Amino acid sequence: MLFNSIEFLVFFPIVTLLFYLLPHKWRWLMLLAASCFFYMWFIPKYILILLITIAIDYSAGILIEKWKDNIPRKKTCLVVSIVSTCLVLFIFKYLNFCSANLVALAQHFGWAHPQKVLNIALPIGLSFHTFQSLSYVIEVYRGSQKPERHFGYYALYVMFYPQLVTGPIERPQNLLRQLREKKELNYDNIANGLRLILFGLFLKMVVADNLGTYVDKIYADPAAFSSGDILLGMLFYSFQIYGDFFGYSTIALGCALSMGFTLVDNFKTPYLSGSVQEFWRRWHISLSSWFRDYLYIPLGGNRVSVPRWALNTLIVFTVCGIWHGANWTFMIWGFAYGVLLILERGLRNIHLFDKIEHKTGRILLQICNVTKTFVIVTLLWSVFRATSFGNLHDLFAALFHNGAIPAQLHVAPLAWIVLALFILLDILIRKSRFDVWCGQQKTAVRWGIYAVMVFAIVALSSVEQYPFIYFQF
Amino acid sequence: MTDNEKHTIRKLFLKLLMAVGMLVVLDVIYYFTLYPKDRAENCTLLEISERAREGVDIVYLGESSNHTYSDDDTDKRFICEMIDDLLPEHHVGNLAKDACHAGVYYDILNNIPRQSEVKTAIVTVNLRSCSAEWIYSSLETPLRKEQLFMKKIPSFGQRMLLAFKAYPIWTDEQRSALARRGFKRQTFTLPHPFPYHNADEWDRAVGQSGILYNGTYPSYDTIETACHHIKHFATELDATNPRIKDLDKIVRLCKRRGWQPVFHILPENVDQIDSLCGPDLIWLLERNAQWVTDRYEARGVIVVNNLNEVRDCDFRDRDFPTEHYKQTGRLAIAKNVATAISGDSRIR
Repeated sequence: MLFNSIEFLVFFPIVTLLFYLLPHKWRWLMLLAASCFFYMWFIPKYILILLITIAIDYSAGILIEKWKDNIPRKKTCLVVSIVSTCLVLFIFKYLNFCSANLVALAQHFGWAHPQKVLNIALPIGLSFHTFQSLSYVIEVYRGSQKPERHFGYYALYVMFYPQLVTGPIERPQNLLRQLREKKELNYDNIANGLRLILFGLFLKMVVADNLGTYVDKIYADPAAFSSGDILLGMLFYSFQIYGDFFGYSTIALGCALSMGFTLVDNFKTPYLSGSVQEFWRRWHISLSSWFRDYLYIPLGGNRVSVPRWALNTLIVFTVCGIWHGANWTFMIWGFAYGVLLILERGLRNIHLFDKIEHKTGRILLQICNVTKTFVIVTLLWSVFRATSFGNLHDLFAALFHNGAIPAQLHVAPLAWIVLALFILLDILIRKSRFDVWCGQQKTAVRWGIYAVMVFAIVALSSVEQYPFIYFQF
Repeated sequence: MTDNEKHTIRKLFLKLLMAVGMLVVLDVIYYFTLYPKDRAENCTLLEISERAREGVDIVYLGESSNHTYSDDDTDKRFICEMIDDLLPEHHVGNLAKDACHAGVYYDILNNIPRQSEVKTAIVTVNLRSCSAEWIYSSLETPLRKEQLFMKKIPSFGQRMLLAFKAYPIWTDEQRSALARRGFKRQTFTLPHPFPYHNADEWDRAVGQSGILYNGTYPSYDTIETACHHIKHFATELDATNPRIKDLDKIVRLCKRRGWQPVFHILPENVDQIDSLCGPDLIWLLERNAQWVTDRYEARGVIVVNNLNEVRDCDFRDRDFPTEHYKQTGRLAIAKNVATAISGDSRIR
């Protein structure tokens, strides 16, 4: 079920109402059933894959605890759990990609190549709940989380509907504990939750979808557009993907908060970052922290030699790229971030601007840094968005060679208005979350904001269907 | 319940009332600002309803069968224009649009202005539109999207349904799965023993074997055409079919508005169906046409059963079942409908 669908507008109030009406001991069951329903709305049979992953990692958690003093057995259990969970992910997400590449390789060398293509769709949100499941097993192994013995609660931890499909990727220490807590009906939770849902819908339906109309045109046939159009397309995509994903995460946070659950914040004004490193601390925080805790630090983190650190960085970001999708463009996108981080660390040692002490100078420097980071991120988003290398080539060819072509992209004033509004809101909420910021306003201002947002969502949203971008991952 | 919870409920109730008030105000603002443009851009069907103004006393509701002609035709008039010419004392309004069906006709009729002079509504009954293949076709999405602006709800509500995509958006995979499920539900029983009980079984058997009912092995294209016929017509219509429910609604609406409904069952290419799928599918088609005739005649509808009226040579398309006729076919249909309305058999 999509958050921006009419079905969800019915589903959400019913589930929230039932949650508060039911006694605490039955709430987990209702939430689990609702989450199954939510997931099965897409392709029902794929719930079996989810159940397999849940069963494997639930059993692994208990066995790891049982053999906590038998290190080889405990380790075997962890490895089996990780391998089997990742195998599911590999089969559904990467097998076709690998097979296609092997066939291409075989063709290149003139070998016989029986092409086996698995004609299956990627189960929605597989990468997200796989990572959430893995974090549980690893935390149990590390001893920082007790295994959950109640299968229902564990299943709910993986399947909790607000974050099931596109995250945030939760840790057991945060969510599992909250699922067992008794939640009282609380006005602030409901009001803040609804504010977040409203803001999330605004980001998705008004900002991202309206900008998406232009982005799709540009990427469908870059050669037909002028250099200026291509730049606009790249700029719009930066805000489309941000509005889209930030919107989904915000709705997820709002749905959970309406029932008293606090999920992790996934974004903190990432486009105001002064460096690529900072960008990754503010963008898709639940994923970047997952990679930090479960891949970067186990590989040695910062406490290794510089060459080893550089290698680790490249590994982590390339894997991060592959996590997003089975395509070379994603891999290149991730790898490029690894290279940029290495360069950034190298440049930091030069201390070129460290002597600037004047306040205005520091502000100007910060503006330059933010602009530089935004330009880098925007350029790399074009690699992320391109459907293939051919598409990417066409895009950059048009960017550098179509300067003489008159502008073809006629951007409606509405797109500029929503973009300006989005940037303004992003700056306003840089120090707190939208719900908190909104709650601090006077009643009239607050209701004015609600009215503008509701009007924009209903009357100014795109009439075309744009699925959430991160659904494909 | 604690005092705190009671207080919360009271506060939430108050905010809910405020939200309702806000929506009412927004509805008024929307109605006077963006609504006219939105409606014109997203609902061409309303413009079709508007055609029932100015002297039109008969409205003709149809789909592409009304206005599709063959390049060889010397007479390229639409069916509704032919009826108009055959009934000089009447003025027939063209309310047809590609891919429409009874569900859309209902909305078009329901939006005909109150002050119109309409007395008779000719409604095309396309038996193919009753199949799961059409019900779950990709043609349905844009039509259902347009229908949102025809709902009798406040303007802000209509736009909200559009914003939240309250119409079917299916991927090809979902569409195909839904159609298959639909075929399985639409069972049929022939008067003699028959190996298949629904379109899915029949379609699979013919498609996988590549053999026609008479034991011949035709080309792949011919088998594909035969399968299309099976998927579209191998069903036994009953009152649960969504199109039949829509026709029922049309009858009730016509009664309310004082219009005489005329249902005309479109001709199908029975010659081709007979040669590719055999007499069993013809039996089902005729059974369904008769069932529709009996059901609606009993409700005061004039039903014109044109099922067998057009021969194979007068169908324009060869490799897919359509209701696109050459001029002879269109004229034959128009004459039958005009005769039924005027009661004047001399039209022939």
